[in-house]
Amino acid sequence: MPQEFYVLIIGYVFGFYMAWNIGANDVANSMASSVGAKAITIRQAVFLAGILNIVGAVFIGAHVTNTIRKGIVSTEVLTDPHLALVGAFSALLAAALWVSFATWKSLPVSTTHAIVGAMIGFGIMAGGFSVINWTKLVAVVISWVISPVFSIIISFFMFKLIVKLILSKQDTFSHALKLSPFFIGATFFVVVLSFLFKTPLGKKLTLGPYASMLVAFILAVSFGLVGMKALGWFIKRREGGAEAIFQRIQVGTACYVALAQGANDVANAIGPLAVIYFLVKTGSVGATVPVPVFLLLFGGIGIACGIGMAGHRVMETMGKKITALSNTRGFCVEFSAATTVLVASKMGLPVSTTHAAVGGVLGVGLSRGIEAVNFGIIYKIMLYWVLTVPAAAVTSMVIFKILQFFL
Amino acid sequence: MRIPFFKMFMTSPFEGLQEHAEKVKECAWSFQQAMECYFAAKCKTFEEFRQEVIQIESQADVIKRRIRGHIPKETMMPISNFLLFRYLREQDGVLDAMEDTLDWVSYRSTTKIPSKLEKDFALLVDAVIDPIEQLTTMVAEAREYFGNYSEKQRVVVKDIIHSLHEQENVADEFEDIIKKKVFNMEDDAVSIFHLVRLAETIGFIADHAQNAGDMMRAMISR
Repeated sequence: MPQEFYVLIIGYVFGFYMAWNIGANDVANSMASSVGAKAITIRQAVFLAGILNIVGAVFIGAHVTNTIRKGIVSTEVLTDPHLALVGAFSALLAAALWVSFATWKSLPVSTTHAIVGAMIGFGIMAGGFSVINWTKLVAVVISWVISPVFSIIISFFMFKLIVKLILSKQDTFSHALKLSPFFIGATFFVVVLSFLFKTPLGKKLTLGPYASMLVAFILAVSFGLVGMKALGWFIKRREGGAEAIFQRIQVGTACYVALAQGANDVANAIGPLAVIYFLVKTGSVGATVPVPVFLLLFGGIGIACGIGMAGHRVMETMGKKITALSNTRGFCVEFSAATTVLVASKMGLPVSTTHAAVGGVLGVGLSRGIEAVNFGIIYKIMLYWVLTVPAAAVTSMVIFKILQFFL
Repeated sequence: MRIPFFKMFMTSPFEGLQEHAEKVKECAWSFQQAMECYFAAKCKTFEEFRQEVIQIESQADVIKRRIRGHIPKETMMPISNFLLFRYLREQDGVLDAMEDTLDWVSYRSTTKIPSKLEKDFALLVDAVIDPIEQLTTMVAEAREYFGNYSEKQRVVVKDIIHSLHEQENVADEFEDIIKKKVFNMEDDAVSIFHLVRLAETIGFIADHAQNAGDMMRAMISR
């Protein structure tokens, strides 16, 4: 079937384009505070973000991809393979165009919102309003509010804690070093838990929730202690105080965000592509189609390419603009953003890394950690949250109509 | 590049405060030169220094307006923006008082200060210069406090505020001495008015520095 072969090729191209846009657009979320706080250089940030997005996409990504694809729109629309193919195509193209437009205009949109909106547009065209799973949609909308709020709360308390236990003390260096196992451990705890709960590999171990908690706890404690020893070994100069310690810890949290981002956002590009792939290969698509690992890898590489090609420009602006974040503050922002994204995607909610990162910064600002934060931006972002979904939906509907002529 | 993430980060108003405080300090130097010249027997450069003060004052005004103009309502800061504006007003008041003093002198610059008052006036001027120089230190130390919230750092700032109060008291005492002496002089009424008012205007400089300290005290309150 040559025609379907071309379809698949075009599917790959748009999938890659979408992934590229995600990388170019969202790289700021994971690495902004680290580059701003001078914990890592731009080159290191681009490299780390690229690699970790791939790792996150391949090893943690699978679960979320399924949820977005079948959650918002009922699987009824997929019964007709032809319609499903056109739909998946228009959703992917609409989302990619919208994200691309957003990147061009520098609008604060979420790639997750774009794909959800595009899927809704396709659903409405294919099966009318009845195929839209409204309760699921409401849950998604709520998660958009929850993600920044949750992130604000975590970073708020994290910063308060750091001030109380470390910054307000005389010798911030030794306090930071003494407490570093806690901060390193907390990071590892969430990473290990998300690994055990969400990855195919983790699921194979079939640990119950309590056993998982225990394993995560033990690993977190041991990594924390090893981390402390390493920090004590590497940092001999005490003049840097707590910031010198957090500078190193922050590299870890930045990686953690990049990982979470890869896991979470790869679905936006790969979800529709997986549908196209299965329709072309098998002629039909069921309700539960596992996403092949190579597609996740493909998405991860696409994101990494976006980061590699456009990341530099973003990071340069970042280094100049975000000087307000010291290492302790940056740690709070990254920790809260990553935790929010991982917890939310564990709950099957497609959350936006952008909003989680924004929430993290606002949380530190609320706990009086930054000399000046523009809170007004939240209203602007909210406006774009609301706008993104219908805009992507309408675009998707238009593309659906056009594609029906050709396919 | 306009990325929303970046838009959250704004230029810190503390940077402006510090810059403004530097201007005040710079102005204090010219002010002192001008006054010393005025006290001296043959003064040629008074007008020159006065113009310098006027110029610095207008530069500081630009900074002041820039700070005020760049704090939208939704800005989240460690302090309320109301306090920040009040602080800035007082810090700016120091500058205005210096300019006012020189203006006042210029209205009647040919009249010299009687020799028996020269020393008192010199002491008064010195007494108001010290607090001005402390303002820059205070802003810098306060900034550090907002960075680490350490109690020790808070005490450092509080000590500066305390010393501003003490210096204002000292300046007040000199002002009183001068006024008393002036009123007991057998001179024409216009000269007496000019001298009394001069002492008062110089005193205002320390008053504004003290008020700035009070505002800072409110800013660092827990």
